Amino acid sequence: MAVLRRVLTRLAVGLGVLWGAATLTFLAVYLIPGDTALLILGGPDARPTAETLAQVRSDYLLDQPFIVQYGSYLGNLLQGDLGQSYRLRLPVTEAIGQQIGATAALAAAAVVLALPLTFAVAILSAQRAPWLRSIVSGIEVVLAATPTFIIGFALLIVFSFTLRWFPIGGNQGPAALILPALTLALAIFGTLSQVLRNELEDVLEQPFILTARSRGMRDLPVRIRHALRHAAIPVMTMSGFVVAALLGGSVVVEALFSRQGIGSLTLASVYNKDLPVIIGIVLLSAAVYVVVNLVIDLLYTFIDPKVVTA
Amino acid sequence: MNASVLRPARNRKLFGQVTALSAVGLLALLTGCAGPAAPSSATSGEPVSGGILDVSISAEPGCLDGHGISATQQQFLGRLIYDNVVTLDENGDVAPYLAESWDVSEDGRTYTFHLRQGVTFSDGSPWDAEVLGQNFEHMRDPATKSPLAAAYIAPYVDGTVVDDYTFEAHLAYPYTPFLYTLAQSWLGMNSGKAITEAPETLCQKPVGTGPFTVADYEPGQSISYTRREGYDWAPEWLEGDGEAYLDGVEVTLVSEPVIRHQSLVSGQYDLTENLAPQNAAAVQADPNFTYENLPRTGSPYVLGFNLSRAPFDDLAVRQAFAAAVDTKAVTESLGFGTYTPIDSFLSKESKYYDPSVEGVLTYDPERANQLLDGAGWAGRDDEGFRTRDGKRLTVEVPTVESSTPSPLLVQLQGEARKVGFDVRIIQLPQAQLTELRYAGDYDALAGVWHTNTTDVLFIRYHSSEITGERIGQNSSYVNDPELDELLSTAREADDGPVAEEAYSEAQHRLLEIVPGVPLYENPSQFAYANTVHDVAVDTSHPVPVLTYAWKAE
Repeated sequence: MAVLRRVLTRLAVGLGVLWGAATLTFLAVYLIPGDTALLILGGPDARPTAETLAQVRSDYLLDQPFIVQYGSYLGNLLQGDLGQSYRLRLPVTEAIGQQIGATAALAAAAVVLALPLTFAVAILSAQRAPWLRSIVSGIEVVLAATPTFIIGFALLIVFSFTLRWFPIGGNQGPAALILPALTLALAIFGTLSQVLRNELEDVLEQPFILTARSRGMRDLPVRIRHALRHAAIPVMTMSGFVVAALLGGSVVVEALFSRQGIGSLTLASVYNKDLPVIIGIVLLSAAVYVVVNLVIDLLYTFIDPKVVTA
Repeated sequence: MNASVLRPARNRKLFGQVTALSAVGLLALLTGCAGPAAPSSATSGEPVSGGILDVSISAEPGCLDGHGISATQQQFLGRLIYDNVVTLDENGDVAPYLAESWDVSEDGRTYTFHLRQGVTFSDGSPWDAEVLGQNFEHMRDPATKSPLAAAYIAPYVDGTVVDDYTFEAHLAYPYTPFLYTLAQSWLGMNSGKAITEAPETLCQKPVGTGPFTVADYEPGQSISYTRREGYDWAPEWLEGDGEAYLDGVEVTLVSEPVIRHQSLVSGQYDLTENLAPQNAAAVQADPNFTYENLPRTGSPYVLGFNLSRAPFDDLAVRQAFAAAVDTKAVTESLGFGTYTPIDSFLSKESKYYDPSVEGVLTYDPERANQLLDGAGWAGRDDEGFRTRDGKRLTVEVPTVESSTPSPLLVQLQGEARKVGFDVRIIQLPQAQLTELRYAGDYDALAGVWHTNTTDVLFIRYHSSEITGERIGQNSSYVNDPELDELLSTAREADDGPVAEEAYSEAQHRLLEIVPGVPLYENPSQFAYANTVHDVAVDTSHPVPVLTYAWKAE
């Protein structure tokens, strides 16, 4: 019962978050200066006829007051209609649908690379000689602090331009996925690994670790079986950070590696003030956030049952 | 041009696109470069069928229906899937394509097109007089949201289907540029069946009669084209028959110029469009690649003044600014030596370009200072800028926001400062720039506006093209009855001496008005691997035409 109530509450909060996200984005884009109708028609270089301009304004309700535009938008949203992209002249769901697979593949590959790396490095480097710890931690700080664009560009210069091991960009085949995924993975690793190591070091000081060691358990099993379980919860709490890093990073990585995906779509849409697509992407990101946090929440109860009663 | 695309940060604002080469220009280009328009058969051997050509482009339009967009990339992409009513041949003259011939009535207001028979669209529907009429209607239908094509055929009133293959187009007034505009990629012919049954699909899956068809379009990423079976109606100047040699063309968006260059050199792509000038020298020096640097017709790159308000409502101030800029030095540094400076408001490659205008606007800082003194801007403030009645000589130039300010504007700022102008570069988001442009709230704007007709002078400087209900391209607010008269005479006259005389006088008149500073010819720069042969170049727009291109094994 407690779990069910917890899920329902979380879902209600999630819906509120979605509504807030939609409203804030609508407001923000609405307030950006600039005539959307002219932009839809190709910006300052176009020569639209007066009839075309009028048609565009009425088609997209751009000649209506804010409250009408907002009301119509929310009404459609409730019916699951995200509207029509100004630029692609496609339903927003279709525009996003075309791109989501590529970004999901990129994000999944990044997580697959980042998590084992994070766990391996943190487990092996916790409570080691200060010089080793400094080197590892130094690399992590650099990776966490360097903009994704720079990491990606460095990888490109080394592995694509110079060694020519991987294609320079595009969506074709698994080889084209490696460098962009690695770029994202390194950024995530840089932060997560530091958090996990600090937690592990705290846990390794605990009396029950000493007990385990005194029973003759070897070092690595102690770290993995006993310490990791306790250290993992703060890391899971950071999954919000991971999701944000994946979504935000995809914008940079997809542009840099000429990849299709939500990130590229976001850039093009913001550039063109393609309001329906921008709100669609914001809603999608918010939904991913809500779902991930819900799942993590539930996972806590399996890892540490105390969480539910707390 | 379509703003809708991801632009590289360095990409300066463009006013437009379309393009062509005059006979003179083509000759220059044939001698200067490696003969791009004529297939280089001497070295290429026998064409080989098959293979996919991998192309990278700098931006993608979001919509592939030329009628609904103004994106520059349509010049290239449109040639793959569309055919036009007419074409411009190797001399830049109007030549048969989907129309075998045409008659123009005495009064210049009725065009009778005799259409080619046996042409089909890739959906199997036929090309005929009715479809031509449908295309005109589709271009100007407000629902198409045409930013460009509709304006080009604005004088079109209605049409009559005389018989299956004869169509009469009625114009409101004589408009000689009509045929030229019909040769542009934005005015390619769409399937009548698709226009009737599913106009909403034309953006994603346009259906033309061209040498390739769209197999798959992933917006923001790539477009796959497949060879059109049974294609057999290429224009004569392409010197080929039947279907394309390539199995297909794979076009991928690579917005970063460095990556576009690197991926060409590394062999990931066979051809790249919009090669950045900073990479041109490297590609040109590489024997494995063919590099093309072809001037576009229409309006060259101009810093256009706003004549409707101070300080550029004063002719002396305009002349002073023009005299203050060392165009040659600016051009050399901006284009890494690949740009050609120009001192006319019409590109040298345009038909009726009059070379006698050269040398009128020259770099002369001393004269610039005298002019400003004479115009009352004799004072100087603490920072050395000129003042009049305590007000500084300030020029606001809005431009599209980017990570680094436009190098062009920065250079102009430096040049103009020497004589006391305070040039302020204002970086704005595209949407806001568009609104400013619409409101006329700027002192100067930099840009180009390509088209394949000398009527570009009408579009850019006739008073009827001043922004009013819609965005007009006379962003300089030139309102000169003498110029209006010349430009109207020229567009109504048949191609020939009358038009030539009027266009020549118009070019001279512009130098008297000084609506801006002409800077350089904006080129089309592209490159391809030498394994690719017979890449042709259109005289409407100097972009690669791949109909009879082929790849060596």
